[in-house]
Amino acid sequence: MSNLLSVENLTMKFGGLTAIDDLSFDAKNNQITSIIGPNGAGKTTVFNCLTGFYKPTNGQMFLHKEDSKISLRKYTDFKIAYVAKVARTFQNIRLFPAMSVLENLLVAQHNELMVASGYSLFGLLNLKSYRDKEQLAVDKAKYWLDIIGLTHRADDNAGDLPYGDQRKLEIVRAMCIEPRLLCLDEPAAGLNPKESAELNKLLKFIKTEKQTGILLIEHDMSVVMGISDHVVVLNYGKKIFEGTADQTKNSKEVIEAYLGVDE
Amino acid sequence: MEKKDIIQSFKDSLFTGLIALALFGPIVGLRTASKGEGLFITPQWGIVFLLVGLCILGRFLINLNSARKTEITFFSKFTSKFSAITKDKAKHFAITAILFAVVFPFLPFTDRYFMDVAIMILTYIMLGWGLNIVVGLAGLLDLGYVAFYAVGAYSYALIATTFGWSFWICLPLAGVFAAFFGILLGFPVLRLRGDYLAIVTLGFGEIIRIILINWYEVTNGPDGITGIPRPSFFGLPFKRSPDEGETSFHLFFNLEYSTMHRIIFLYYLILVLALITNYFTLKIRKLPVGRAWEALREDEIACKSLGVNPTNTKLTAFAIGAMFGGFAGSFFATRQAFISPESFTFIESAIIVAIVVLGGMGSQTGVVLASIFLIGITEMFRDLEQFRMIAFGGAMVLIMVFKPKGILANRKPTILMHGDKK
Repeated sequence: MSNLLSVENLTMKFGGLTAIDDLSFDAKNNQITSIIGPNGAGKTTVFNCLTGFYKPTNGQMFLHKEDSKISLRKYTDFKIAYVAKVARTFQNIRLFPAMSVLENLLVAQHNELMVASGYSLFGLLNLKSYRDKEQLAVDKAKYWLDIIGLTHRADDNAGDLPYGDQRKLEIVRAMCIEPRLLCLDEPAAGLNPKESAELNKLLKFIKTEKQTGILLIEHDMSVVMGISDHVVVLNYGKKIFEGTADQTKNSKEVIEAYLGVDE
Repeated sequence: MEKKDIIQSFKDSLFTGLIALALFGPIVGLRTASKGEGLFITPQWGIVFLLVGLCILGRFLINLNSARKTEITFFSKFTSKFSAITKDKAKHFAITAILFAVVFPFLPFTDRYFMDVAIMILTYIMLGWGLNIVVGLAGLLDLGYVAFYAVGAYSYALIATTFGWSFWICLPLAGVFAAFFGILLGFPVLRLRGDYLAIVTLGFGEIIRIILINWYEVTNGPDGITGIPRPSFFGLPFKRSPDEGETSFHLFFNLEYSTMHRIIFLYYLILVLALITNYFTLKIRKLPVGRAWEALREDEIACKSLGVNPTNTKLTAFAIGAMFGGFAGSFFATRQAFISPESFTFIESAIIVAIVVLGGMGSQTGVVLASIFLIGITEMFRDLEQFRMIAFGGAMVLIMVFKPKGILANRKPTILMHGDKK
């Protein structure tokens, strides 16, 4: 399987604190790569570097396309999602709570719709070409809502959904930008076992049906061990282990990092 | 109600009276009067006791009312009924309101004074709708909106007096100038939000006003610009005796000359301008850029993670909001025929923001109701002179007490998957 993302010698320092220390790992196409580690290990910082919210002190991040590779360092801010097609969700859900579920999914398709609406000109004239494109966007939103079973709530405010549904909505909203890499920051946090199982199903579906690699930060081991193809373990900003889920479960270093060492 | 409750509320009222006495005593009770060679204090304890008595009585009545645990007071009953009507029949309400606005100049009780007030209210409605794009949709609290109003008015006045171009050419130009200033303000404040943004925009409003005062060569400073051309009815001026080779409005239509013609024309002009603003806002809200504005108001970081360009989105909001402010400004200039920096003080910005907030952020109908309420009330109490600001403040307090989210605070989705359920 081909490489999708390679992180090389990534280092991020905040003043004297080294949050990520010389981290290198790869993520492959159509695989779920999990990043785990105790609290404060630097997992979210890795995400923030990948998605352009932080500028890393050192190191490179490459996203591989068919033959070429693009450096993610070059893109900051909104361009990561717009140009490089890296999407992310957040540890604390960031939906647009006062907007409807459908509107949330349409904002994710903003850039295509903006072009289709002739930067608002065709839209103001209500041209058919724009109306058709808008219908396509609604159809795409409906496709994803059908998958997570929220179609009947499409016109309700996103903020009124139950917590678990908001999590799922945030993931499919990120999928609406048709990302090549989807970064999920603790998607199972606060979910009950039934909702976690549904989440696993959704992630497996994305992995197999879409041309998208998934990068996952998670504390819920039932999710991590159930769906990860590859696990990267961080502690104090350093990679301490890398391997399959089963290898990780039995690794001495990982158990020590989580449970401590016998004196 | 139990006896204990009554005694409790009576005690509470007496305490309120004590506070009222402490306040009114020195403020109202001790009046200074100059007699002959010095200042003397004339006590007026009668009024003080009257005011304190009113406070005690009012507090007692409020206590009795709340003790009865019936939360539905007369006022909230009225407002909830009102919002129920507008919620269900928003469309009917809008059509009725527009029809009323169209026939208004020809109603029997409409006189010159009513027309002037109506024009003023419509100007504020238009400004409110313009600012609603920036504050209500994009969530950027702009306390210097009057700057764009001023830019529009001055661009119109300067272009019209210098080049003598007609209103219909100057109007879009003034809009373009104001939009340009909107972008100019937008750039430095891109990274700011909330309180910080509010302060910078407030400063911007003042900067524009101070430039207008001091740039004497161009703006004529505090003396203002006089002799701004009045608008004509598609080339027909509203003059009693037209210049040679010209036909005036009343001669062309064979009417008796009346100053009301021009007033009525101005009324329809601002009505049309305001309705265009409204139509435009309603349309653009349903376009991608409108949704991006609202998304930006909800969560900027999420917007970035979805590839929405926050810079462009904010700048378009500033520019379009400013453009409508500029249109309103040119209307103001042509109506007054005289403008000076005095017309563009901070209080104007504050009133427009108040209209948007009290109307319910983002609600178009709310802006109309709030404008009528706030401007109408201050006009009604014009006889009270400086005390009419109390009426203004009182109106604001009333709305905030009974409708903390604004008069109409329901947001309708811009697009529906399942159609209207009602």
